[in-house]
Amino acid sequence: MSLYLILIPFVSSLILLLARPAASRSIALVASLANLAITLFAFSGFNGDGSFNHEFSVPWVSSAGIHFRLGLDGISLLMVLLSNLLAPLIILSSGGEKYHPDARYFGLLLMMLGALNGVFMALDGLLFYVFYELALIPIYFICAIWGGDNRIRVTLKFFIYTFAGSLFMLVALIYMYLQTPGTHSFLWEDLLSVQLSNGAAWWVALAFFLAFAVKMPIFPFHTWQPDTYTTAPTGGTMLLAGIMLKMGTYGVIRWMIPLAPEALHDLSPIFISLAVFGIVYASIIAIKQTDLKRLIAYSSIAHVGLIAAGIFAWNKVGVQGSLLQMLNHGINVVGLFYVVEVLERRLGTRSLSEMGGIGKSAPNFAVLFMIIMLGAVAVPLTNGFPGEFLLLNGVWNYNPWLGALAGLTIIFGAVYMLRAYGLVMFGETNDSTANFEDINMREWVVLGAVALMVLVFGFFPQWILNITDGSVNRILGAVQF
Amino acid sequence: MKALLILFVTAIVVLFAGLSAKRQTLVLLALGGVLIALGATVSDLLVGDTTGWNEMYATMFRFDNYALAFGAVILLTTALLFGLSGWGFRHLSDTLGDNYGLILFSICGAFCMFSFTNMIMLFLGIEILSIPLYVLAGSRRDNLASNEAALKYFLMGSFATGILLFGITLVYGSCGTFDLQGIASAVQSGRATGNMFSIGILLIVAGLSFKVSAVPFHFWAPDVYSGSPNMITAFMATVVKTAGFAAFYRLFSTAFVDSGEVWNVAIAAIAALTMTLANTTALFQKDFKRMMAYSSISHAGYLLLAILVAGQTGAASAILLYTLAYSIATVCAFAVYMTVAEQNADGNFSAFNGLSKKEPLLAAVMAISVLSLAGIPPTVGFFGKYFLFTAAFEAYPWLIVLAVINSAISIYYYFKVIIAMYFTSDENAYTVSVPVAFRWVMLVGILLIGLLTVSPDTILGLIP
Repeated sequence: MSLYLILIPFVSSLILLLARPAASRSIALVASLANLAITLFAFSGFNGDGSFNHEFSVPWVSSAGIHFRLGLDGISLLMVLLSNLLAPLIILSSGGEKYHPDARYFGLLLMMLGALNGVFMALDGLLFYVFYELALIPIYFICAIWGGDNRIRVTLKFFIYTFAGSLFMLVALIYMYLQTPGTHSFLWEDLLSVQLSNGAAWWVALAFFLAFAVKMPIFPFHTWQPDTYTTAPTGGTMLLAGIMLKMGTYGVIRWMIPLAPEALHDLSPIFISLAVFGIVYASIIAIKQTDLKRLIAYSSIAHVGLIAAGIFAWNKVGVQGSLLQMLNHGINVVGLFYVVEVLERRLGTRSLSEMGGIGKSAPNFAVLFMIIMLGAVAVPLTNGFPGEFLLLNGVWNYNPWLGALAGLTIIFGAVYMLRAYGLVMFGETNDSTANFEDINMREWVVLGAVALMVLVFGFFPQWILNITDGSVNRILGAVQF
Repeated sequence: MKALLILFVTAIVVLFAGLSAKRQTLVLLALGGVLIALGATVSDLLVGDTTGWNEMYATMFRFDNYALAFGAVILLTTALLFGLSGWGFRHLSDTLGDNYGLILFSICGAFCMFSFTNMIMLFLGIEILSIPLYVLAGSRRDNLASNEAALKYFLMGSFATGILLFGITLVYGSCGTFDLQGIASAVQSGRATGNMFSIGILLIVAGLSFKVSAVPFHFWAPDVYSGSPNMITAFMATVVKTAGFAAFYRLFSTAFVDSGEVWNVAIAAIAALTMTLANTTALFQKDFKRMMAYSSISHAGYLLLAILVAGQTGAASAILLYTLAYSIATVCAFAVYMTVAEQNADGNFSAFNGLSKKEPLLAAVMAISVLSLAGIPPTVGFFGKYFLFTAAFEAYPWLIVLAVINSAISIYYYFKVIIAMYFTSDENAYTVSVPVAFRWVMLVGILLIGLLTVSPDTILGLIP
C-alpha cells in the first residue's frame, strides 16, 4: 500500500519524461488522483495508536544495514494526505497559456510527489536522506526551466544551500548509525535507542537543525527563500511552500528530536527564539512588500516560524498544533499562490500598486480570495485558527514571553494580508484592472476546493487532530527532554 | 591471470592486425578481446577460484577476489571506451592498431598493479601502465597541446616513478624483502623501524600520489588531461585512477597497515588538501576537460579517505563501488562531450548549450552522470561517497565534515554543465551527430548506474 504511493508517481513520471505524450496533464492528474484515492483508502482500518501501518520493508543494502522501509503512523499519514491532496490542485493550476503544457513539467512534478511521499513514509535513516535530497532535483529543474527572471542564479543558490545543509544531516546520520550496536542499522527504532553523550548529542542536534532550518526556513537561514519563491513558476512555488518545507518540520518531529533529545533541553531555547524572531522579522518585512508573491513568501516564513516554535516547545498542544497547521498552511498557501497566478496571468504584473478595484468586476474571485485570505490570517472558523491557537498555546506553555511575541504573528498577519487584499480588490480601478475577467471553470475548481477546505477544516479541526493524536502521544511519551 | 593472458594476446594480435586490417575489424578484435577477458574475470569471481590459474606466480602475483573485482571494473570501463572508439579514434588511420595495442598493454600493467604481492611487481605494473600512456597522450601528433601533454606526463611521470623506486629500495633496505607479507611481518616483529623505513614509506606515498594526481603532486593532471585526445583523457581519468587506487590500497592494507603512525598524518593532510584545492580550483574553470581534470583530482581526494583506513573491513569495497560508479559516469560524460565537441572544439561549457532541445536523451545521460559525480542521491555516486565516508568516519570525523563541505562546493561546477544544457540556448545552432555506438554505450552506462543504485550489494559483496 505505502509502496504504491511512491511507485505510481515515479512510474508515471518516467512515462511522461521519456515518452512525452500529448495529454500529459491528464495523465498526471489521473496519477495524482489515484494517489489521493489510495491515501484516503489508507484511512480505513487505520490503527491510530502510534504504531506503523502499511509497513513495507525490504533490505536494500543488507551489508550496510540499509533497508527500504516505509510505514505510516498518524503523523506520516497526515503529511502524505497533505501532499496527495495538494498534488491534483497543483497539477490543475499549472499549465495553460504560460507553460504550453509540457510533459517534462508534469513528469518532474510527479517525480517530486513520489519523493515527497517517500520522505514522509521513510522509516530508515538513509532512505529518508535519499528521498530528502531526491526531492531537490525535480524542483530545481522546474524552477530553472519555467521560472522568472534571474532564475538560474537563484535556483542554483537554493540547490547548493539546501544540499549543503542536508549534507550535515548525512554526517549526523552516519554518526548515529555507527553508534548502533552490532552490525549497524539505519532503522528508525534502532537509531532512536542510541544513547548519546551530551557533547555528541549537541553536534547531532545542530547538524540536523542546520538541514531543517535551511529547508523550513528559519532565520537566519532563510535568505534563499524569498528569491526562490518569487522566481519559481506557480506550480513550483506551490510545491515548495505547500509541501516541501513541511519536509523540514516533519524531519524535526520524526528524526531530529527523537534522535538527539539529550541536547534539546539546552538547545531548544535557542531554536525557539530563532523561530519566534523569524516570525516577527518576516512579518514586518512582509508588510513592506509591493510584490504580492514576495509578500506571501515572507508570510510563509512567519507561519513556519510559528510551526517550528510549537514543535520545539515539545508539548502535546504545541506538536498537535504544528501538525494541524502544517496541513492548513499548505492548503492556504497553495490557494494564495494561485490567486497570485490568476492576477499575474490577467494583468501581467504582481505589483500591488498596479492593482485595485478588482472586486468590482470579479466578485467570485473576490469572495474566494477573501475566504482564503482570512484562513491565512487565522480568523476563527477558518482552518488557520485552530492551528495558530494551539501553537500559541503550546509556545505560551513553554514560555509566556515567547508566546506573547509569537502572538504578534496574528496581528502582523492581519496587517499585511488585509493590506494586500485591500490594495488588490478595493479602491479605484485603473486601465488594466477595469475589465478584469472573473475566474473561469478551472480557477473555480482550484480556488473553490481550497476555500472549501479552509471552511471545512476550520469548522471541524478535530477530524485532523484525531488522525495524529495517538502518534503524537506515543512520540511525546517516548522522547522527553 | 586468464584475463591478463587474454589481454596480452589480444594486444599483440591487434598490433599486427593494424598493419593490414580494416577499422571495423580492429575495433571488433579489441572489443572482443576485452569482453572475453571480462567474461573470464567475472566467472572467476563468481566461482571464487583462488587456485589453479589464479594462485601465486613465483610469489609475485595473486589473483584473489580483490584483484579480480578491480580487474572486472577496469575491463568493463575499457569495454565501454572501446565501444566509443569506433568514432572516437576516427582521426587515426595507420596508427589505429598501435593505439589499441598500447591501451591493452596499459591494462596489462593495471592488472599487475591489482594483483601484486611483491613490490617489484608494483613498480613493473606502474611502468607498464604508464609508458604506453605517455605515447597515447601525444597520439594527436599534429596538435601542440597533445605533444605538450605527452612530454609533461613523461617527464613528471618518470621522475615520480623514480621517487617511488627510491622509496621501494629504502623499504627493502629496512625490511630485507620486497614481498608484502614479508614487510608486514618485519613491521610486526619490530625489525622495520627507523628513519630509513619511514622515509621509504613517505617516498612511496609521494610516488603513488603522483600517479593518482593527489595534491601537491597533481600539477601535471590539468594540462595532461586537457591536452590529450578525448578518448585517452577518458581512459586516464577512469582506468588509471582505478588502477592507482587499487594498488595504493593493496600496498597499504597488506604491507604498511601497522605502520600507521608514519603515514597517517601525511595521507590525511594530502587528502584534505586534495579535496579542498581541487574543488575550489574547479569552480573557476571555463574549459570542460580541465574542469573534469580537477574534478578527477577531487575524487582522488575522497578516495584517499579509504586509504587512511586501509585494512578496515568495508574500505576496499567502498573503493570498488566508488571507482566503478565514477568510471561509468565519467565515460558517459566524456561520450556526450565528444559528440558536442565535434563542432565546437574550443571546449568550454558553451559547447553544451541547448543540448536538451537538440538531443534530450544525451542531455539526460549527461545530467545523470553529473549528478552521480556530484554524489547526489539516489545515484550510485552518492552510495560510493556514502560508503567511503562511513568507512572513514569513526577514525577521522573532521575529514568527513571537510569532504561533505567539498561535495557541496562541487555541485556548483558540475551544475554549470546542466545549466548550459537545459537553461541556455545555443546561438550558433551547432548540430550534434551521435553515432549509434555511442547511444549503445550510454544506454549500457545508464542501465548500470540504475542497477547499482538499486542493489549496490552486488558490488560490495565481491571483496570479502
